[in-house]
Amino acid sequence: MSGGLQDMPGMKRHHDGQPKETDSRTSPFMPMFEVFRNELDEHHDRRERIIKASRDITAASKKIIFSLQRVRSLGSSIPPKISAETQDRAAVIQQHFNTIAPDLAGINGWRYQRQVSPGIQEYTEALSFEHYLRHQKLITVEEAAATVPSNITLTADDYILGIFDLVGELMRFAITTMATSGSLPGSESTDVSTEKRDILMDLRSLRMCFHGLDTTSCKDTSLGRDSEKKMEVMNTCVEKVEAAVYGMIVRGRERPKGWVPDLSDDRGTVGSY
Amino acid sequence: MASPSGTIDPKIFESLQSKIDDDAEVRDQIREILQVLERQGRTAQAILSGAHSTPAAHLEPVLKSTEDAIRGEIESIGKLASATAKSPYYKYNGMWTRDVQNVVFAVLFCGWLGGMGTFGVAVEPGKLFTIEEVGKILNEVPVNLKDQDAFHITIEEYLQSLITLIEELARLAINSVTLGDYHRPLQISQFVKDVHAGFQILNLKNDSLRRRSDGIKYSVKKVEDIVYDLSLRNLVPRAEPTAQ
Repeated sequence: MSGGLQDMPGMKRHHDGQPKETDSRTSPFMPMFEVFRNELDEHHDRRERIIKASRDITAASKKIIFSLQRVRSLGSSIPPKISAETQDRAAVIQQHFNTIAPDLAGINGWRYQRQVSPGIQEYTEALSFEHYLRHQKLITVEEAAATVPSNITLTADDYILGIFDLVGELMRFAITTMATSGSLPGSESTDVSTEKRDILMDLRSLRMCFHGLDTTSCKDTSLGRDSEKKMEVMNTCVEKVEAAVYGMIVRGRERPKGWVPDLSDDRGTVGSY
Repeated sequence: MASPSGTIDPKIFESLQSKIDDDAEVRDQIREILQVLERQGRTAQAILSGAHSTPAAHLEPVLKSTEDAIRGEIESIGKLASATAKSPYYKYNGMWTRDVQNVVFAVLFCGWLGGMGTFGVAVEPGKLFTIEEVGKILNEVPVNLKDQDAFHITIEEYLQSLITLIEELARLAINSVTLGDYHRPLQISQFVKDVHAGFQILNLKNDSLRRRSDGIKYSVKKVEDIVYDLSLRNLVPRAEPTAQ
């Protein structure tokens, strides 16, 4: 790259600096620095590839989430049109994962954790959203980890932060569905062993789980810092659904069919930071 | 924390919590070791700063007690390595890298002054230990590990310590003149320039290494000015032995 250019001032100094050494003496440390240069170049290249892939994974995951927000039913398979879209995106994401998997092998997995982490969190959010829409279940860490190449670690921290953002998506899904169909999305199954669960019950239990999670020990990790912010956003999301359900019960019949509440102000606060 | 609905497998959050707790435990252990290492680092630095007020001929006691201080540091690094043996290296590396850099700097500076002879490596005043020699001195700590996930000294850490050495030597050049040693600034000048030339072939990105290495030129200039002042006044020793 610019290595040739950068050599120039260093070399020149030898000549004007030490007049007694007339032969153009090169630094005895050069061979050592050449090794370092190669190592650092490799490191920067890997890092950049990972940053780029992480960004692309984030973008594709966001698109999956947008597509999934058009789904109107819970606990059944995704409509083919939407499913075709999300599968294409998911294939793109897999490609990106495969590209960077060698860069994240072994010791380098944690070395570039900060660079992959945003992509993995967004991916977890998309993955868990789809999983929830299909099965009305929270995807487990193991299930989620099994969907990425084995070189790539889906850390507990990234999982937690991704699931925090899932709450925002569930809120949006719940409110839009209520507005368009007039009822809260929930399992319609007639399984006698379990009570009929609606999405608000699920949101509340998620909220309870998050509140039960003790993260005071990770004050100086990204989990500690981010979860504090995300906890507040998550609380707001659950409350919004609670308020919407209240509204539906109190004023539901008066509301014209197809009325959609304005959700524009939520976009910025949830799911991205 | 059992969920009232079947949506959330209670095991999910249980296992997340235990991962968080395990993580906290490792961090606590590391912090405990680092507390000691940090103090040892300060002690070593304090002893080493005696070099600025000691003529080269009388450095022996300074170097001896520095070596003792470094031995304590090496012990702490050993503890750090075993406490984190089961964890991914880069997961916690950020916690100790600064302290490890301090140790590497102490080793490099002491070695440059001619010390560290009892650590199984060849020594000579004005010498720069390679990263491999530093690893050997730190009781066989691996360096620049790539194919194995274990405790080691990274290239970045070595380079950071090397920049600290350059800054320290620029200061030593001034103080050598004060001590009446007009030869050492010349030796430092050559050394600093050689290291600077090395740094110039690195393609550094916008990170802390880049920012600090940008400052090397000021150290080079500082030392050049001293050499200039000396030569202007004919204070440069005539019987010039070559700089190593």
